Amino acid sequence: MPFTRILVAIDGSECSDRAFAKAVELAVLAEAQLTALAVEGPLPAYAATIGEVDEVKREKDLYFNALASRAKQQAKEAGVEIDVDVRAGHAAELISQVASEGSYDLVVLGHRGHFLRDHLLGSTADRVAETAPCPVMIVR
Amino acid sequence: MSDIAVAAVLAATILIASTISVEIGLSVALIELLAGFVVGNAFHLDVPSWLTFLGSFAGMVLTFQAGAEVDVPQFKREWRASLAIGLASFFAPFAVVGLLAYYGLGWNLRQAEIGGLALSTTSLAVVYAVLVETGLIRELVGKRLMSATFVTDIATVAGLTVLFVKPTLWIVPFVIVSVALIVALPKAAPWFFGRYGNRVIEPEIKLVFATLFLLTWLGTRANSQAALPAFILGLVMSGHYVKHRQEQERMRVVAFAFLTPFFFLKGGMNVSAGALWANLGILGLLFAGKMIPKFAAIYPLARRYTAPHAAFTTLLMSTGLTFGTITSLYGLNAGIIDRTQFSLVIAVVVLSAVIPTAIAQRFFHPHREREPGAGRPVAAVPAPEGVTD
Repeated sequence: MPFTRILVAIDGSECSDRAFAKAVELAVLAEAQLTALAVEGPLPAYAATIGEVDEVKREKDLYFNALASRAKQQAKEAGVEIDVDVRAGHAAELISQVASEGSYDLVVLGHRGHFLRDHLLGSTADRVAETAPCPVMIVR
Repeated sequence: MSDIAVAAVLAATILIASTISVEIGLSVALIELLAGFVVGNAFHLDVPSWLTFLGSFAGMVLTFQAGAEVDVPQFKREWRASLAIGLASFFAPFAVVGLLAYYGLGWNLRQAEIGGLALSTTSLAVVYAVLVETGLIRELVGKRLMSATFVTDIATVAGLTVLFVKPTLWIVPFVIVSVALIVALPKAAPWFFGRYGNRVIEPEIKLVFATLFLLTWLGTRANSQAALPAFILGLVMSGHYVKHRQEQERMRVVAFAFLTPFFFLKGGMNVSAGALWANLGILGLLFAGKMIPKFAAIYPLARRYTAPHAAFTTLLMSTGLTFGTITSLYGLNAGIIDRTQFSLVIAVVVLSAVIPTAIAQRFFHPHREREPGAGRPVAAVPAPEGVTD
């Protein structure tokens, strides 16, 4: 098995959960190092009140922290060591960037995220497949 | 259409606007404005009196909240450096748009003043969101920008209260009560909130609403506008809210769920598509009347105080949304500007929220020149029980 460092992108959607399960399976089989990356999307553009920005940021922090904790718990139950990284930014750009900087040899992610904007603007998976420096496994 | 039918249509519109906001990541206020525009023009709905009432009160709540969201200690540290940018950001477009409207477009003096005020604003929330997103909120440039934005906003609310006053005898109780509330409320709040707060019946929110209604009533009797005392009241309460975040969050919940949607919907419903289409040239002139003086006045100061992000600073200081909408709606409700003028001014306000922000983020985003991960910080991830990092 050629994979030694696997990066899995998680966002809590059904597809992402399936991608995470596959990544854990692969990590067990290949005895690879596994890292989960959760990307908090942008804050609402053109907000009318600071409160709106603060509330959305707080909700995102809470959601993604819970997601990260769940990933650690699931990895522990599967007997896999995992690093979890939560960052804010543009999902496709960050996933490719982290994959490149961390010299990962496989990126795993779900084919569809949470939001309508993924469908309107093209999915994160499509863009990562185009820009990642390593093989990309897109899980349906 | 009956009142309850209009209410049902608007409630459905508000719900749809919220879901669209979540799905596409745009501010709910902007979507509500656009939704109001679509609903108002598509169904030719007249704005009912109850919506005008709710929307006007929501404007006061937004003004109070804007004051309560100011970081006063930070402003005290940075006000000297920010004063020049903030005042230039207000006076340059106010003068240019006012003169343009008065001499170029034939508006009367009060209409020109409303146009100048509405287009002189800088959006505290738009600036804040970009600064948080880029991580600059933690740096000196971000702190100075926020303080400068605050200066511009307080100049706007002061203008709104002072310029349109035609004092009656009621100005005396209006001023006395305003000063008394501004002095007394921060002192009374700890006791009142301690004794009656943290209950599902929310006496602390009712206290704030009662004071805002009182100020609005006295302001109306005095032929003035209560924006300035409401803003300062929020400002003096900001220290209390810093220590009691939950109270502020509950107030936001009430405002976002019920009040502000009606404010922005009402703003959008009063925009006439026909008036905009027939006056595209004037729309462009007013937009230039806001942007060019903002650039001319702010950029040289930004080079001195916020280098190397002068262009980024200038663009963000050129944004506007909430106070521009509040000012325009005040002008419309008071019968100072007509629906065509309102449509033009509010359209420029929305364009000024979107265009400079998009250009700043696309072409002058400081984050792109810095190391990866230097943007918005994320709260630390706690390890689940039994799991160590």
